[in-house]
Amino acid sequence: MTAGTIHNKDQFLNKITSQLGSERNRQAGLPEWQHRPQLDVFSGASVNELAAAFKKNSLEKSTFVVNTDRTNLAEALQEVIKKYGGGQVVASKDSRFGEFGLDAVLDNGETHIWDINRGLENIEIAKKANIGLFISDAALAESGTIVQFNDKDIARSISLLPTVYVAIVPKSTIVPRMTQVVQAVHQSVEEGNNLATCINFISGPSNSADIEMNIVIGVHGPVEAVHVIVEDL
Amino acid sequence: MKVSLFITCLSEMFYQNAAKDVVEVLERLDCEVDFPKGQICCGQPAYNSGYRKDAKKAAKQMIASFEASEYIVTPSGSCAAMFKEYPQLLKDEGEWHERAKKVADKTYEFTQFIVNILKVEDLGATYPAKATYHTSCHMTRLLHEKEAPFRLLKNVRGLELLPLQNNYDCCGFGGTFAVKMAPISEQMVDEKIRHIEESTANVLIAADNGCMMNIKGRIDRKGKAIEVKHIAQILNTRVEGRV
Amino acid sequence: MAMKIGEKPFFDRVDDALEDGFMRNAMAKAQDGLRGRKLNATVGDEQIGDWEEWRSAGEEIRRHTLENLDFYLDQLSENFARQGGHVYFAETAEDATRYIQEVAKKKNAKKITKAKSMVTEEIGLNEALEEIGCEVYETDLAEYILQIDDHDRPSHIVVPSLHKNKEQIRDTFRDKANYTGTSEPRELTAFARSQLRETFMEADIGVTGCNFAVAESGTISLVTNEGNANMVTTFPETQITVMGMERLVPTWNELDVMINLLSRSAVGQKITTYVTNLTPQLEEDSIDAPKEFHLVILDAGRSNALGTEFQSALHCIRCAACVNVCPVYRHIGGHAYGSIYQGPIGAVLSPILGGYEEYGELPYASSLCAACTEACPVKIPLHEHLIKHRENYVEKIGMTGEKMAMKTFGIGVSSPALFKLAVKGMPAVLGPLVKDNSITSGPGPMKLWTSVRKFPAPGKDNFRNWFNDRAKGRE
Repeated sequence: MTAGTIHNKDQFLNKITSQLGSERNRQAGLPEWQHRPQLDVFSGASVNELAAAFKKNSLEKSTFVVNTDRTNLAEALQEVIKKYGGGQVVASKDSRFGEFGLDAVLDNGETHIWDINRGLENIEIAKKANIGLFISDAALAESGTIVQFNDKDIARSISLLPTVYVAIVPKSTIVPRMTQVVQAVHQSVEEGNNLATCINFISGPSNSADIEMNIVIGVHGPVEAVHVIVEDL
Repeated sequence: MKVSLFITCLSEMFYQNAAKDVVEVLERLDCEVDFPKGQICCGQPAYNSGYRKDAKKAAKQMIASFEASEYIVTPSGSCAAMFKEYPQLLKDEGEWHERAKKVADKTYEFTQFIVNILKVEDLGATYPAKATYHTSCHMTRLLHEKEAPFRLLKNVRGLELLPLQNNYDCCGFGGTFAVKMAPISEQMVDEKIRHIEESTANVLIAADNGCMMNIKGRIDRKGKAIEVKHIAQILNTRVEGRV
Repeated sequence: MAMKIGEKPFFDRVDDALEDGFMRNAMAKAQDGLRGRKLNATVGDEQIGDWEEWRSAGEEIRRHTLENLDFYLDQLSENFARQGGHVYFAETAEDATRYIQEVAKKKNAKKITKAKSMVTEEIGLNEALEEIGCEVYETDLAEYILQIDDHDRPSHIVVPSLHKNKEQIRDTFRDKANYTGTSEPRELTAFARSQLRETFMEADIGVTGCNFAVAESGTISLVTNEGNANMVTTFPETQITVMGMERLVPTWNELDVMINLLSRSAVGQKITTYVTNLTPQLEEDSIDAPKEFHLVILDAGRSNALGTEFQSALHCIRCAACVNVCPVYRHIGGHAYGSIYQGPIGAVLSPILGGYEEYGELPYASSLCAACTEACPVKIPLHEHLIKHRENYVEKIGMTGEKMAMKTFGIGVSSPALFKLAVKGMPAVLGPLVKDNSITSGPGPMKLWTSVRKFPAPGKDNFRNWFNDRAKGRE
């Protein structure tokens, strides 16, 4: 991306300022909010309670859930892949796969690991893939949601194009709700870091209720979803 | 306890029987009821139609008539809610704002007053019928009174109170809405009546004369055999121990 | 086409709507279904604590943001551009479409995919792009249905095709897209998926609306279920996002609250399936991300509400919770409002954006039952705004007959003597109309009332006399 531009700002904002009867270039100063119910959700809940809620809410969103530990993860993952029909797998390029001892599972000829050097071919493969595999960066107990901070290696296409997405969810990353994730993002912004170009909160397979309010699972994104919760503590 | 009655214009003009029941019920509960003579209409028809100045005139007249009262009680959730609107309506009118607040603070809808102030829930009435209750929008949403009528009706002997499907939907009255948007209002009241019929009730009970006038008017026009009663009429029927 | 729907006058549109049995049935069914879902996800979900607290949180965030709108828009635009994005502040719908046309021409764009967005409907973007030779593809299922049905108009801000049943949709697919399947929603949906799959990949530009922008980081947040917004913002080389200027929050912490209020109020979901947060990046090296990112910030009449009693109308987050509980919308549906913004918020917003000449009747299309105000997740006093509109309308445009009547009312209510006289006179005035203890027809407003209902006959007694006699009797 080249340097950005802004057009018509002053004229536009001056009008707003005058309508508001205010003055430009002041600091708004974020107030101390009087109501913050988000902080109380699951406050004091244990990791196990959060994991249980995450599982329950994933199931509610038509997502298949597997519980496993580090030792059995590789086997559990292979079973999931088999259960959902095997075939082409596309996985993010993520050093954590190695940390979880999954390199052998991925090195099977049917798995494509996202490789920026192969350009658009990655997308072609992802389009035809049956399974998209990645490790979730955070997970929300309240809603059975996984979070991805997408970049050139943890590509957006992986959770989007294949028929099934399989997210590995380290139990230690499960937090009560979106609140804890946005706090971390906010802090990162305050520290002057650049954000991931896409921070994606995903809760199960794509769906629509646009026809007579009937819920249909599987629209433009994945048709099925799996959350593999890994005991990592 | 001294109670000033705000009877409402619809009651005064069209529903005097219910108005009399209101007085009798309150007196039976040892209230000393007076009737401030200066009272007129609360001004809601003007206010809701966008005639703020006219509504203010009505509000001031009502405030002057009722500000000396200890409690103000009215058999209409909607009119009570209008009293509660006075402070906002008169917010730029100097001392009137404070006077409006005082009046608003001591205003109660009839059932609300009995349950929350007099702390009475059983009025000893008997009314053997299958009935359903119309929750009026202004009573529930503007006055925030959702329970009082039900607490009172629960203790009426012989009364079988049936649930009303979509009870939260407006009956289509809405003051001038009923005439200005007559075709839409018609569909709304028809759906309301359909749900009343589906409840199998023979009697519809309500606590707002506007809604009653609308629903009853449509029931009569369609020649249906459902009675419409103000809650005061039910609560003042065949009362135990009354001479 | 833009914001306005149809050329007929209001009451003709209402008549058309009332005759459309399927549509009305669909609206009632949708409202009843959504009601339960929303209650379960809001007051009924103990997990999130007190829903009223959430509403209060939403209200205070929106109030603060709008009170400092100039500051936060400044911050948003600087942060968006600092990272390589292009910001265009558009005073009018025409400014916005002209800018987007220029971008499309510069990129030599042929195919354009779009995620659902009411603000792009409002500015008539599809027509503007088609005018310069682009092919525009709506990808949200409901919008796709409307588009292939000869550009039918939205009847609901969240589910724009709510007025169509599955048989109608099957027939449209069959006539316009060679569909051969049944009317099963699953099969119809699968068809749309297969039709659009390649298009997503081929598009040159992806266009979206904006649920919220985050000022502190220059981020655009999109809330969807189908995955189409992700497709639209992942594969084309250029992304253009159009946002109504009020749709932003100061920081990510406030975004959290707003997303929760929106998901639960709109569709009764704890969270929508996708909450996608996109930020431009100078060093964009991903294969599957746009290389160019434009943000168009639109006024188009919104500033009319700033600094006025209508300011809180701009707190709206387009969840349609008010639409979903409105008893008027229930019976007339969306098109009768004549605006892409329908229901209570439509009746408040359309006159602000489009004026009283065009939308002056809408504030009267409400019984002021306040179901909307009770439902609003950011506590906009919608029914009070409708009354305020009526005040303005009476003042600026006027209703002669009614004005006279209200003048009479004004005189009547300012004097108890005259009021008493009116009450006393009522039997005399109405007496001749009474038949079998009620009134079945009459002149003026009475005619309108009695076209639907009977009118009660005035009581025979005088309540004040009864009360006085009773008091005297006791003395």
